[in-house]
Amino acid sequence: MTRRELLALLSAAPVALKAAPDAPTAPVSIAKCAAYNDDVTATLGTMFDQIGGLERIVKGKTVTIKLNLTGSPGLRLQGRPLGVTHYTHPKLVGATAYLMGRAGAKRIRFVESGWALSGPLEEYMLDSGWNVRSLASAAPGVEFENTNNLGKGKRYARLKVPGTPYMYPAFDLNHAFEDTDVFVSMAKLKNHETCGVTLSLKNCFGNTPASIYGDNSGVDEPNEKPTSGRGAVCHAGERQPSRSAPQEIHFGANHDAGYRVPHIVADIVAARPVDLAIIDGIESMAGGEGPWIRSKPLRLVQPGVLIAGTNPVTSDAVATAVMGYNPRADRGTSPFQTCDNTLLLAERHGIGTTDLKRIEVVGVPIAQALYKYEA
Amino acid sequence: MLFALLLTLAVPTDWVPARWHWLETKTLELISGTPVNCLLVDWDPRQKTQAAAFAGAAAERGIATLAVIRPGGDPAEPARDAIRAKLTGVVLEGDFSPDATERVRAAVSPAPIIELTLRSRMPLGSKAPVIGTWQGVWPGIPVMEDGAAKAGPSGSPWINTNAGFLRAARAFGDSIVWIANSPPPKSVVTAENYAQVIGDAAMVGARWVVALDDDLTRRLHEGDKPALQVWSRITRQLQFYEAHQDWRAFRTYAKLAVIQGVNNGALLSGGILDMIGARHTPVRAVPPDRLRPDTLAGASMAVNVDAASLTPQQREVLKAFTRSGGTLLTGPADWKESAVPDKDKITLDDKQTKRLDDIWHDINSMIGRGNLGARLFNVSSMLSNLLTSTDGKQVLVHLVNYSSYPVDNVTVHVLGDFHRAWLYTPETPEKKLDVYKVDEGTGVDIDLVNVSAALRLE
Repeated sequence: MTRRELLALLSAAPVALKAAPDAPTAPVSIAKCAAYNDDVTATLGTMFDQIGGLERIVKGKTVTIKLNLTGSPGLRLQGRPLGVTHYTHPKLVGATAYLMGRAGAKRIRFVESGWALSGPLEEYMLDSGWNVRSLASAAPGVEFENTNNLGKGKRYARLKVPGTPYMYPAFDLNHAFEDTDVFVSMAKLKNHETCGVTLSLKNCFGNTPASIYGDNSGVDEPNEKPTSGRGAVCHAGERQPSRSAPQEIHFGANHDAGYRVPHIVADIVAARPVDLAIIDGIESMAGGEGPWIRSKPLRLVQPGVLIAGTNPVTSDAVATAVMGYNPRADRGTSPFQTCDNTLLLAERHGIGTTDLKRIEVVGVPIAQALYKYEA
Repeated sequence: MLFALLLTLAVPTDWVPARWHWLETKTLELISGTPVNCLLVDWDPRQKTQAAAFAGAAAERGIATLAVIRPGGDPAEPARDAIRAKLTGVVLEGDFSPDATERVRAAVSPAPIIELTLRSRMPLGSKAPVIGTWQGVWPGIPVMEDGAAKAGPSGSPWINTNAGFLRAARAFGDSIVWIANSPPPKSVVTAENYAQVIGDAAMVGARWVVALDDDLTRRLHEGDKPALQVWSRITRQLQFYEAHQDWRAFRTYAKLAVIQGVNNGALLSGGILDMIGARHTPVRAVPPDRLRPDTLAGASMAVNVDAASLTPQQREVLKAFTRSGGTLLTGPADWKESAVPDKDKITLDDKQTKRLDDIWHDINSMIGRGNLGARLFNVSSMLSNLLTSTDGKQVLVHLVNYSSYPVDNVTVHVLGDFHRAWLYTPETPEKKLDVYKVDEGTGVDIDLVNVSAALRLE
């Protein structure tokens, strides 16, 4: 693909959905970073400066960082470490904690709803090969919270979807999503079997606790020991979440995961806005979001890029373009062949623009960072 | 003469065995300076003279030679011939009748006889210094047609292993257990694979009878350099385990006991012991006829696989265990069905696997996040074994990695307060590690595990 072809692709508008002219925009930083052994901290620090500085976002604040640790830590692509395939890499996580601590963050809380996890997130991280003690000492006030259930909280936080929700009027989430001043989505640059791409928006699908939205969640009340994913409730719409939580609005109307999951993600991000998106594209995988995917061939990739922005839609739009896709592609067009485009749905919620012409890219231009995920 | 010869050789319990395809004395150079001290040679009466010369040369180097005799005809005659040819002893490999075995014993006495038989016919609990079987799975992570690893119920990759069977076999008595399975035919066997199969047996105190694939055998004989490198890796791996003889005296350290006999799955691979092992929960195997208060001492949980098979006295032991605060889980009533290995099958069938899933959920719920000796993290491609010294002042964690890649950042949380830790690997000198306090006791971080490692704490 030449630069000219790329620009033509990026300016192509989908037929069904027009760009929302008033959706907010924000600059997105792209940086080259060839390996995790490079100076990730310095690179990330420069990127934060390029998008307005970290201090103004986190100083004196409680920061909650949603990681992407999808799937059991035991499932690995070709036996490789999780951080070079489908998890956010621990070195990037450590660098982020360090920089946030240096910028004056009061508390840095790492969160994730680990697969079938009812115990502490720290043990899940240990099982992922992370040095939790190092991470905990990367900055003052580092904490960990398993958001797959109540975690250390005493009650679930109810976060309402503003405006007109697609699927759910509100979500019951772990307290960490409410008890925070700043919410960060730290994602991986990956394809996704159900949603085409999984970036900072799709990463938030994991905000939902499996205790309520999981296949073996309680019918009436949450099951605090969830052991499954969210297939029945979220992907297939075969059942409602626990009755204690807000119920799906049009339950039974649609069972297509390619429709449901992107719409649910857009609702989640509307309910719990993302203040900072960080996308790990140093090393990753193409073809799907984890080694369990069978529908497409999976391969290891080394795009060698980091992407960051204060708006998750603009950040994901740029990231999608870096992967060689049109971020405004409609359903039926790669990478959204069998699904709706989460980015466009989030744009329609007024979260941010997908129009690359309205997004200031700082650092490395998209064309120079381009790494085609379609072989 | 024979007696004098034997004096120069190691005793059978110390034999480190390898199948040997050659009778040329120059091939003995391959084992010079290695732990291999016992060669299993297929007995061929037509090569009596060469075998005698080979056995003599081997004996001069302190190496035992064993004639392997397989079913077909009267085994006593070739056994007698082999001993006359000055081989050290005889290996009966196959399904021999007890009568045939006794005839051989009478024919060659006092030369040692080692039986490599069906798992179900191993003389478990006998006074034999070495017992063995040729029936084994080839250890490793099975890969499906699309190249992905086969996953177990925990979401982790499933690991084919003989470790559970070997744990069970060793629990019956004090015999050294040999597992003498061969590499799978028509497949590429890497140096890592050989290191894994050695570690798979050694971490639970057994010995794999080294058996090289046809291609490696041929290339080794030709002096091919890469083949010699693989052989060097194999012998280094053997050396790693044989260099620490004191570890063999360590006993299993586990608060979870599995009471399981020959008739209800103890000798099958892929059963309860392997499933618990894959979860890295330290476990002790207890055969029903060894079920006594002392064999449950220190245990806080027990799984009784087949309650119906226990005698009244054995049930009393379990009652006393629960009365003293122990948690007991009893297996499903139909577990016993067809759980005995046969000539061709040493793993569970689909129905048994389904049944195992059911009992596994119960075991998993019972264990929870409890620390039953040690908890290990980032070890999904590994198996482990937790041991303790007889005085209880040291614990040893054996680790074997079955993946094709090294694993970094392994964390171990051991029950109890330990002040010092050392890491042993085949590749590097022993290394002192930092220990730190965790809620459960003592934590240690290991930077990297290639195939084998042992962590010792005191």
